[in-house]
Amino acid sequence: MERLASWIANSSANDFALALLGNVPGSPPILQSIHILSIVAIMASALMIDLRILGLAIPSQEIQEMAKRLRYWALGGLFGVFSSGIWFVLARPNRYFNNPVFQIKFALLVPALLCSYWIFRLAVRAPSFWEVHFWRGKLLAAVSLLLWVAVVLAGRWIAYAEYLFWPG
Amino acid sequence: MSEFWLWLEMLPIAQEIGATWWFPLMESLHVLSLVIMLGAILMLDLRVLGWTALRYSISSLNRELVPWSAAAFLVANVTGLAMFITRASNHVENPAFQIKMLLLLLAGMNIVFFHFRVLNTVSQWDSQARAPRAARLAAASSLMLWIGVTLAGRWIGHIV
Repeated sequence: MERLASWIANSSANDFALALLGNVPGSPPILQSIHILSIVAIMASALMIDLRILGLAIPSQEIQEMAKRLRYWALGGLFGVFSSGIWFVLARPNRYFNNPVFQIKFALLVPALLCSYWIFRLAVRAPSFWEVHFWRGKLLAAVSLLLWVAVVLAGRWIAYAEYLFWPG
Repeated sequence: MSEFWLWLEMLPIAQEIGATWWFPLMESLHVLSLVIMLGAILMLDLRVLGWTALRYSISSLNRELVPWSAAAFLVANVTGLAMFITRASNHVENPAFQIKMLLLLLAGMNIVFFHFRVLNTVSQWDSQARAPRAARLAAASSLMLWIGVTLAGRWIGHIV
């Protein structure tokens, strides 16, 4: 991780990202807003399917139809988070790669994405799964829901870990 | 008035939130609540605009989504207020914060317009793909205003 961070720090992508964030007025909050709205697209899609499977929300929508409609929003959101977030990582790689909270966030994000991918795939290809494997379906949705909540909780702490846990 | 904002900042609870892990926790819950709120609002707005989810009636989406966005809005208010009081006197003078409050007020007026004027006649166009012009205007305004609220909200932290 440290080698990756120092490799990025010495690359021209680092110079470009620093110039973009430092010299283009308003670029950090604009990129961060695109990041947040993209997170909304991904997480709202994942959470709505989870809540629907758990029987907690939107009972009139069909799970299979929801998955077919929302998967494009989730994919668009993934593209959005990546294209808006990458500049911050390129500009200050050490802040992220050497930050335990960032590592925890990604350790939660990867299973959350895989879990939601699995749910969407099942919802599209095996629409009867949720009736045949009633409890397994609910468990899967509950795990996905909790993973996404944990990702958000971890994500916002990246900026604070430095001074809360290693002050001074 | 400025004494009031300073008094808020000096409250023990404001001091506690500002100096501890309570602040990032409030911020995380703020993000989580806005995900649920905006997700639900987006789904309804896009249906009213006639872009997606056309097989469902507008009133069914409204009935099933609005309680979620309302509950999430409440959480966003509580967590937002918790963050606000830690730096109240700075925030009230922060242009990004002022713009955010203005956009929130406009978004609120738009919600009142949509729910108490536009939706009164929903039974006539509930299942149509194309909602009346006033409904589409309210949905488009809602999308723009909430994007603006997000942008202004994120900008607050960049003006110190």
